[in-house]
Amino acid sequence: MAMTTDVPERIPFWRNVKTLGLLAQIIFAIIVVAAIAILWNNVTSALARSSLPADFSWLGSRAGIPIGERPIPYTPDDTYFRALAIGFLNTLKIALVGVVLASILGVGVGVARLSNNFLLRQIATWYVEILRNTPLAVQIIFWFTAAIATLPPTISAPIRLPGGLMFSNRGLAFPAIYPGFGFRDWLPWIVAAIALYAIVLYVRRRQIIASERPGLAWPAALLAFLAVSGTGYFVASGTATIPEPLTVDFTVERGRGVTFLDANGNGERERDEALYGFVPVTVRVSEAAIETQSTNLNEQRRIKPSVLRFPVLEEGEYESFDVRILGSADAERFSVHWTDAPTAGLIFEDRNGDGIYQEGEEVDADGVGFSGVRTLLTITGFSRDLVSDRDGGIRIPNFEPVGTQEEETEEIQDAGRSGVAGFGPSSLFGSPAGASSDEEEAVLDTTVEIRSSGALVWSRPSVPVSNYEGGFRFTASYLALLLALVIYTATFIAEITRAGIMAVPKGQTEASKALGLSGRQTFSLVIFPQAVRIILPPMISQYLNLTKNSSLAPLAAYAEIFAVSAIVANQTGASVPVTVLIIVSYLVISWFFSFVLNIVNARLAIVER
Amino acid sequence: MQMIPDRLPPAGERGAIAWLRRNLFSGTVNAIVSIALGSFVALSLFNLGRWMLTGASWQPVWNNMKLLAIYRYPAELAWRPIIAVGVLLMLTGLTAALGQRVGKGKIMTGVYFWFGSLAWFLTLVALIAWPSVRVAWLLATLMSVAGYAIGWYVPRVVRAQSWLWAAGLPIVLVLIYGVGGSGSFAVVGTSQWGGFLLTVVIAAFGITVSFPLGIALALGRRSNLPAIKYFSIGFIEVIRGAPLITWLFIASLMVPLLLDVAPDSIPALTRALVAVTLFSAAYMAENVRGGLQSVPNGQREAARALGLSGWQTTRLIVLPQALRAVIPVLVGQAIGLFKDTSLVFIVGLHDFFEIGRRVIPSQPESLLYPGGVLLEISVFMAFAYFFFTYRMSIASRQLEKELGVGER
Repeated sequence: MAMTTDVPERIPFWRNVKTLGLLAQIIFAIIVVAAIAILWNNVTSALARSSLPADFSWLGSRAGIPIGERPIPYTPDDTYFRALAIGFLNTLKIALVGVVLASILGVGVGVARLSNNFLLRQIATWYVEILRNTPLAVQIIFWFTAAIATLPPTISAPIRLPGGLMFSNRGLAFPAIYPGFGFRDWLPWIVAAIALYAIVLYVRRRQIIASERPGLAWPAALLAFLAVSGTGYFVASGTATIPEPLTVDFTVERGRGVTFLDANGNGERERDEALYGFVPVTVRVSEAAIETQSTNLNEQRRIKPSVLRFPVLEEGEYESFDVRILGSADAERFSVHWTDAPTAGLIFEDRNGDGIYQEGEEVDADGVGFSGVRTLLTITGFSRDLVSDRDGGIRIPNFEPVGTQEEETEEIQDAGRSGVAGFGPSSLFGSPAGASSDEEEAVLDTTVEIRSSGALVWSRPSVPVSNYEGGFRFTASYLALLLALVIYTATFIAEITRAGIMAVPKGQTEASKALGLSGRQTFSLVIFPQAVRIILPPMISQYLNLTKNSSLAPLAAYAEIFAVSAIVANQTGASVPVTVLIIVSYLVISWFFSFVLNIVNARLAIVER
Repeated sequence: MQMIPDRLPPAGERGAIAWLRRNLFSGTVNAIVSIALGSFVALSLFNLGRWMLTGASWQPVWNNMKLLAIYRYPAELAWRPIIAVGVLLMLTGLTAALGQRVGKGKIMTGVYFWFGSLAWFLTLVALIAWPSVRVAWLLATLMSVAGYAIGWYVPRVVRAQSWLWAAGLPIVLVLIYGVGGSGSFAVVGTSQWGGFLLTVVIAAFGITVSFPLGIALALGRRSNLPAIKYFSIGFIEVIRGAPLITWLFIASLMVPLLLDVAPDSIPALTRALVAVTLFSAAYMAENVRGGLQSVPNGQREAARALGLSGWQTTRLIVLPQALRAVIPVLVGQAIGLFKDTSLVFIVGLHDFFEIGRRVIPSQPESLLYPGGVLLEISVFMAFAYFFFTYRMSIASRQLEKELGVGER
């Protein structure tokens, strides 16, 4: 008792932890606020002096950034906002595919590191050691500039792999399935089939439980699903109504046209005018376009004979295919010669009038007599086919020598636009937008991809002119970045997997062996399910790392959010807004992953108890 | 009862054949896998070897060794960074030998011999082919050997060890930066730094400065004071949310604005260092926090019971245990940072990676090679980075074992 009386009742405030803490916080807050105020003041005065944009008003103006990789339609005429959105989508595109592939590779390598086989174990170990200890940046330039860029070019000799795959310095193209004409009719069938699947599954389960015998519920359900959706597929493909030719028109984009419903008839596409990918069309090349072309020839800019390449068609896929050259009296002298019928043609001057191409009858360097010739290319009889490309646009004849200079392209594009008014409805006007200008080849390139009216269309890649058409394509940039990210991240996932498997107590293996399980059964039924619980949380943070590492995309010229933002910052000078945008984009991605991680952790925690 | 004497296993169960059977041909599937993989590996190694020896053109790499090492650092002053390497190796050798004498220091010895052998190899190359740096490399080698010898034969220096390190690092900095005047110790501005020198400088600076910052942030995050706690959380989470390359880009955009000065007045190196250090500090903080959480609460309570103040508890009881637990993780982070320095090209610095990626391929001589020189250069760069990071990751694993962190 005596001791307690010695202690003073109140602690002086300068030794009171609470007061001190409060004081410390106040001082800290003052310092932080002051620092922020000074920096903010600096930024505002610097911005005021340099007249750089400090708000987001520039988001709505024309970006003018060419982006090769676009999951949604985009032209350089679109806004900055759309360009940035494309960047964000591209980030997701590489992250999603990368995460799946890295998981597969990483888990495989992690398991291989524990294999009984000495060689397999060593290969896996050295794979991890070497690639984990090399900067990702070096790996990206290795894949992009050293490996993929040295592959044969697409135009001359792509590597053709079995199964219709093509591999070249433009990337990888492989066959893919796209929704076709009848897809919309097929959709209700699929919905019905899914509903039926659920019902059959439920009923069968009840039956199995009632019968008290072992059995599987899903085969019958799957059968029902397949039956309904399969029937639907054929019905939809057979009876799909093909819309009448619409009043369609073009907006010109480099290398391709976009079909749209010209609702107000002004010949230009407004934002609210729907895009049409699926219309039967007649393709005609307008007079204006050819005239522009012949002007070029008269000016002797082209030295090679003009080669027309026509749609990639296969035998029996079309009913009639008609190319005529109309117009002036001179026109009678010109015909089209198929060099590689019907994929490539050549306009020649039929000097002896026999209608057959002889050597030396090419339209020569001066393009004599070529001026003012109208060419009409008609593709008729496609009652079940449509002319459309993968992006839902229509590939129209590009009557423009590939590799023209930029200003020529502009001229021609204008000519193409002005030609629109000269023709009536239900026709498409040839608009000679330049194909990718980096290909130096004097061809008049025309590519039209033909699609069937089936519910699904099997599209194979081909190289009609200088780049891939059809199929699904991974560009060289995408492929290089994906390879580097997957291979690099997989080393970390492999280590996580290995640690997770090793963390399962040895007794589990011994117990399952004692129960008579085989090695494979032990692994897949006892060890791995337990390891997954340990593996999953760090694995998700590796997924986040992969997504964040995709910001090294500028090294592979891939337009993801950081690359686009950097270009935007350079163009607009809007440092502050772009900084905010970058940080917000990545924080959203990070939060998404930590959200997933929390869910996973919560579920694992329940399982543990 | 009679003991049966030990006998060797039967002949078929020992030696190379038994090993082969156990590890490669234990079953049909295993045998097939072994043969397939074996031929794949042999073929790959053969092709790789053939390409390295006959196919690849290493001339551009060889010709640009100076660029790759120090970029625009004046050639007549190249001896200074080399001597700096000598100083560092000398200190490492000293520590390694001192440790060896008392039966420890296996890790340091490994590091010393790994990097020492690189220096000795370069000395050999210099003696044959680089007359201008011959003497400097020879001196560096002598210094590295001398360091080890002193440590071995004069064990009394153990008391001066930390002082020697503390003195050595400023010496290294002075050697690289210079003192003044126009003679041998002329100042070499940071704009002239580049190549591997810059890579090492950025990595070393980033790790050293971010270490105290990271500890402060980690302690701040666990603080009871809301203002400090939420500031730390906000800082750590925002920085960790976006990748380093974006922070470098943001630093190059924002640092001049934040300080309200002309963009050119801030050296690119400063911007890079700001971004790298803050980024590294946020990660460091999370690693240290992991260590802090691993210290049992009883330690804290015991310390308080003994009458230690809060600050003393943290400094003397909690932090030493926490840091000890996370040393391997911190080495891992150092490796990561070393690799990440390859991104400083974003702010316009010419580090090792940028010289290989942009400078050498754009030289007129390099353009003469059909197919470019990037394949050879990227292979060389990968090897160079690997040489450094691999040794560090071995050290991290040894540390883990020595500290018993990996086994619980």
